[in-house]
Amino acid sequence: MNIDNTASQMRKGVLEFCILSIIKLGEAYPSDIIDMMKSANLNILEGTLYPLLTRLKNAEFLTYRWVESNSGPPRKYFSLTEKGAKFYEELETTWLELAGAVETITGKNKEQ
Amino acid sequence: MKKVININFQGTIVPIEESSYELLQQYIESLRRYFANEEGRDEIINDIESRFSELFQERLKGGSTCITDDDVNAIIRNMGRPEDFEEAEKGESMESGNAQSGNSKKDKSENNFQGDWSWKGKRLYRDENHKILGGVCSGIAAYFGIDPVIVRVVFLISGVGFLAYILLWMFVPGSSLVENGVRKRLYRNPDGKILGGVCNGMGSYFDVNPWLPRFIFLIPFITFFFRWGHFGPLSFPNFLSFSFSPGSFIIYIVLWLVIPEATTTSEKLEMKGEKVDMNSIKNSVLKEMQEVGERVGKMGKEMGQKFGKMGMEAGHAAGEKGAEIGKDIHYAASRSSGALGNIITTLFKIFMYFILGCVALSIIVALFSIATVAIGIFPLKDFVLTQGWQTVFAWGTLIFFIAVPVIGIITFIIRRFARIKKTNKLMRWSFVGLWILGIVCFVSLIVSVGQDFRNISSLNEDAVNLQNPTVKSLEVMPFQNINYRRIGWFNFQPFGTYGSTDTAFIGNVRIKITKSPTDSFMVSILKMANGRTRRAADTLLPRINFNISQNDSLLMLDKAITINTTDKFRNQYVEVTIAVPVGHYIKIDKNFEYGNRIRFGGFWGGSDWYYYNNNVENDYDFTYGEKYIMKDDGLYTLYGKRSDRNNDDGNDNSNDNDNNSVSPNTSDSNGGYRYNQNIDSLKNVQEKQIQTMQQKVDSLKSVHEKDVNKMKDSLQKEKDEINQKIEKLNKGTALYQNNCEPKIPGDFTFIMYI
Repeated sequence: MNIDNTASQMRKGVLEFCILSIIKLGEAYPSDIIDMMKSANLNILEGTLYPLLTRLKNAEFLTYRWVESNSGPPRKYFSLTEKGAKFYEELETTWLELAGAVETITGKNKEQ
Repeated sequence: MKKVININFQGTIVPIEESSYELLQQYIESLRRYFANEEGRDEIINDIESRFSELFQERLKGGSTCITDDDVNAIIRNMGRPEDFEEAEKGESMESGNAQSGNSKKDKSENNFQGDWSWKGKRLYRDENHKILGGVCSGIAAYFGIDPVIVRVVFLISGVGFLAYILLWMFVPGSSLVENGVRKRLYRNPDGKILGGVCNGMGSYFDVNPWLPRFIFLIPFITFFFRWGHFGPLSFPNFLSFSFSPGSFIIYIVLWLVIPEATTTSEKLEMKGEKVDMNSIKNSVLKEMQEVGERVGKMGKEMGQKFGKMGMEAGHAAGEKGAEIGKDIHYAASRSSGALGNIITTLFKIFMYFILGCVALSIIVALFSIATVAIGIFPLKDFVLTQGWQTVFAWGTLIFFIAVPVIGIITFIIRRFARIKKTNKLMRWSFVGLWILGIVCFVSLIVSVGQDFRNISSLNEDAVNLQNPTVKSLEVMPFQNINYRRIGWFNFQPFGTYGSTDTAFIGNVRIKITKSPTDSFMVSILKMANGRTRRAADTLLPRINFNISQNDSLLMLDKAITINTTDKFRNQYVEVTIAVPVGHYIKIDKNFEYGNRIRFGGFWGGSDWYYYNNNVENDYDFTYGEKYIMKDDGLYTLYGKRSDRNNDDGNDNSNDNDNNSVSPNTSDSNGGYRYNQNIDSLKNVQEKQIQTMQQKVDSLKSVHEKDVNKMKDSLQKEKDEINQKIEKLNKGTALYQNNCEPKIPGDFTFIMYI
């Protein structure tokens, strides 16, 4: 087994949660999201982001609006829907539980 | 300097280099494939394109005049390639199996694969989009950047290839995203192909004249052919000819099946290694159209008059039939599902092609050789065939039975070279009809001629009056050598090679030697012929012109029988029996040696002939050109070698049942084991005596030699001694002269003075 695989699996798990968190802070368009992820040391490819956003949008967790810009084509600005907000809270709960559990276990290991 | 085009990208005009545009296209295409099953695929792609557009605008605003390859590649790098995207699982579970290195997974599902987001190198996948069986070879080819056909051939050739293939199929994951890039692919080139376009395609791939691979394939055939005939300096070394000749054929067939044909323009471009893009496609299409126009003009000129429509149809019929059979087989086989069925079909196709090829080749060769022979025999037809129906049949046979398929095949071949595809049912059927007519002619010819040989004449021996029957020695010679001229180049055996245009000589003369009961020579002649009925055969007998006359010790015979066009060849045969009295000599000249080969003996003998041949008084074997003496107990050569007798239990070689046997009549042929014991032992004793005498002589000789040598040696020794003595004496005298002779003349004077 390979560390890359496992790491990748871990990341995939939290990806949605992170993105939703960013959007929760405010309207954002994909470029922005990527920049913010970068600044948090969580690199993600644009090609990964777009499908994810689309999926979330199709699941009605996100919505978007077009904003014209002078430098290029219009941009999509994403924001959370109500459904999305609820989904986010559930995710947050799950995350906290998970994080706590992992902390406990690894903590126990460290003690030993 | 690169060409720049303007594209309408997401609502804005973007000037972009042509090559960059293609890069962009490919990337978007790969995205499209990757998201093929994704809901909202179009939206995703749209979003990505928008992003591209945005970035393009930034660059253009930043001062670039157009978008270049670097720009596009940089953006793609940032965006990421599809195989690097992190994907949520589609709900497929990974199949269990042994867990190997991270490179391989047992996941066989089509669109699902686990790509490592940080691993940017090339990975080995099975190519699901370009697969024939399981896409193993395609995947390997894409990984290494070579043509998948080469990989396939390697698998086919190597013995463990099959097993390795299965293993790889199981362990290498499949992917529908394997990129091929622009590379040269090996196709069969259908433009300008002769058989299957294999050599043509190879020529394009390797950039050589297609005749070069054709020549390479044909070399073994040519050397194989040369090996059969001995052409002196042109003989090729054995290993070349033998090891290659069937092999190259098989290799060709295999390649024909495995290499795909380049039908679309893009495939043809790939074959030549040119980049497949709009421009190159456009150019090559234009070129093709031009070529087609030219070719149509040329063909129209040639086609119309030169080639009659006849043979084409017959040949095409055969070709169609073959293709139909092939199609049926293929259809039947393809209904059986599974890759294994595919393999079996392919193998079967190989076998069928090979066998068909061999059969066709042998038929063609046989036909041509029959045609040649038939044409060669034709001048002699007058000697065999009676007028009327038989000649008609003969002509019919020649034209319809033999010439028609030959013409058909020739035109078929020409048609293939000229790529004419028209069919005409009427022509095809008329051709076949003519050939059937030819078969009918041939059969009736054989039957009719056979009738003429059906019966044999009655057997009558005529005695010949000799002028001088009590002569001591008789030598049998032919009449003076008529200079027999060969009929053209023709060397067909029964008719010898003799004759002019209206007479033929048949050397059907046989000589037998028997023992005469009296003390004078007796000669009798037996003539035979065949005919439709016995009476018809009998009428031929007096017309056999055979001369015989004696001139003291020479007996002159005709060497051959003349046949002219009125008396046809009907197996005429003359047998001369010479009875030799005891104590007299006989010798048969060598010129008669090949006399009795030419009978078509056997099954039409009838009971008379067998009776006659097996109960006639026994005759003796003899060697032509050798002198014999007849003794009480048989015929002997002058050295005492006895001739075999042909006894009456059927072991004679005068009536062979096979035609044209060419074994010369030697003294040691059959009947050998009927020796009389006494005579045998006598002979042995004689031989032994001779041997012992010989030995004695030899030993005497050797003894004699030894003595002589001894004497020589002793003489030599004595000579040496004498020489030595002489030397000594010489030395002695010298010494004496030196020492003992008075030296000083003064002594005498001294004495004188006293």
